[in-house]
Amino acid sequence: MKNKEKYIDIFVKSLAIDKKKFSEKLKYNDIPEWDSINHMTLMSGLEEGFNITMESDDIIDFSSFKKGIQILKKYKIN
Amino acid sequence: MSVASSWFKNPRLVKKIKHFHDHLKKNDGKIGTYHRGIELNFNNACNLRCKYCFTNSPKGDHVKDFLPISKLREIADEADELGFIEWDLQGGELLLRPDKLFEALDAIKPERFYLYVTTNGFKVDRKIIKELGKHGVSRMSVSLDSWDADFHDEMRGRKDSWKKAIQALEYIQEAGMDPYLNVTVGHYNAKSEDLKMLLDYSKKKRYRTLVNVACPTGMWNQVHDVVCDEEDIKHIRKLRKEYKNLNRNLWNPFDPKLEKIMGCTTVNRMYITALGDVLACPYVHIKIGNVFKNTLKEISDYGFRIKHFRNYSEKCLAGEDLNFIKKFNSTPGKTIFKPVEASEIFSKEDFVD
Repeated sequence: MKNKEKYIDIFVKSLAIDKKKFSEKLKYNDIPEWDSINHMTLMSGLEEGFNITMESDDIIDFSSFKKGIQILKKYKIN
Repeated sequence: MSVASSWFKNPRLVKKIKHFHDHLKKNDGKIGTYHRGIELNFNNACNLRCKYCFTNSPKGDHVKDFLPISKLREIADEADELGFIEWDLQGGELLLRPDKLFEALDAIKPERFYLYVTTNGFKVDRKIIKELGKHGVSRMSVSLDSWDADFHDEMRGRKDSWKKAIQALEYIQEAGMDPYLNVTVGHYNAKSEDLKMLLDYSKKKRYRTLVNVACPTGMWNQVHDVVCDEEDIKHIRKLRKEYKNLNRNLWNPFDPKLEKIMGCTTVNRMYITALGDVLACPYVHIKIGNVFKNTLKEISDYGFRIKHFRNYSEKCLAGEDLNFIKKFNSTPGKTIFKPVEASEIFSKEDFVD
């Protein structure tokens, strides 16, 4: 993923987590910062950062950092 | 094993929340006239005797009235059409009559909304949580006044209410629902060590904390010294950034910097009593309609014609804006069941054309 640095940066900033706490194995609800409310903040960060509009189904399926990479491919973010 | 899925597993609800999120983005982070939620006092009976109850439940006010299920069904259908996102079912204490509560939840059709119940936690056990999950409840909000059990019990008028509330939150989390610890913050405790300890506990347990500012209404009508001053509010905003798990209804929930204020949510989160009266919010006891006489759309249109409710306010009108409180929300004898009519309290100049 060419945009991986940017993707990680959005994750860290949107969930307001310490970069040390970040891991590519991160899944929804693994850490207090990624709860149902902050999930929407994360989606918002991705929309703004990559200039895309995400479908509701993708917001629902976005259950982990890795799954997010697959979903973003649909929006031509590689 | 979870008994309730979180809201973002519900496609219909995700669409609504996304729509709200996009609205805030387009509207400079301000709520405007968006239909966010309905706060329903389905029944006012309660097993506790809280000193500051805003519904006057300890005085036995209308404790036998329930909003009829057929009317509730009708309101819920219209609320869905209008894009309302959430329902907060409250009392009184609705878990005193779980049979009635389940009937109400089914009538609302929870698959269309983010549905939650606000409770004192006294009647919460594993069995009832499981049932509530089956009836579509996603979140339970439990009110706690203090980290000090004796103080909480004194405020609530019943021994062991603190212990029961703490236990209730454990059960809620264990069942996979969203656990919210609701705390009222006023000038008397905003900067206290006690509040800090309660917030520390909530964060450590991975709950969300809903901060409600103390409002001089109900049993506290005209008790203006409970209202947070500007320094208290600044301090609460500082706590928002520090703790990260704090919410207030007027804060923008999607702001990663934890700074933005979308504005006071009068009318956006209208309050319906068991008699069908609709008030601007649970703490602004000004009537803007009645569901037996008006549609929600009519009520909302009328409410938003009132400048104070339509215009952006960074302050909570009922709990921070002393000018509004003294001028419009301090009428002696006013309760949720005897609200002031908006047409009587406001003058022509208070309405938009």
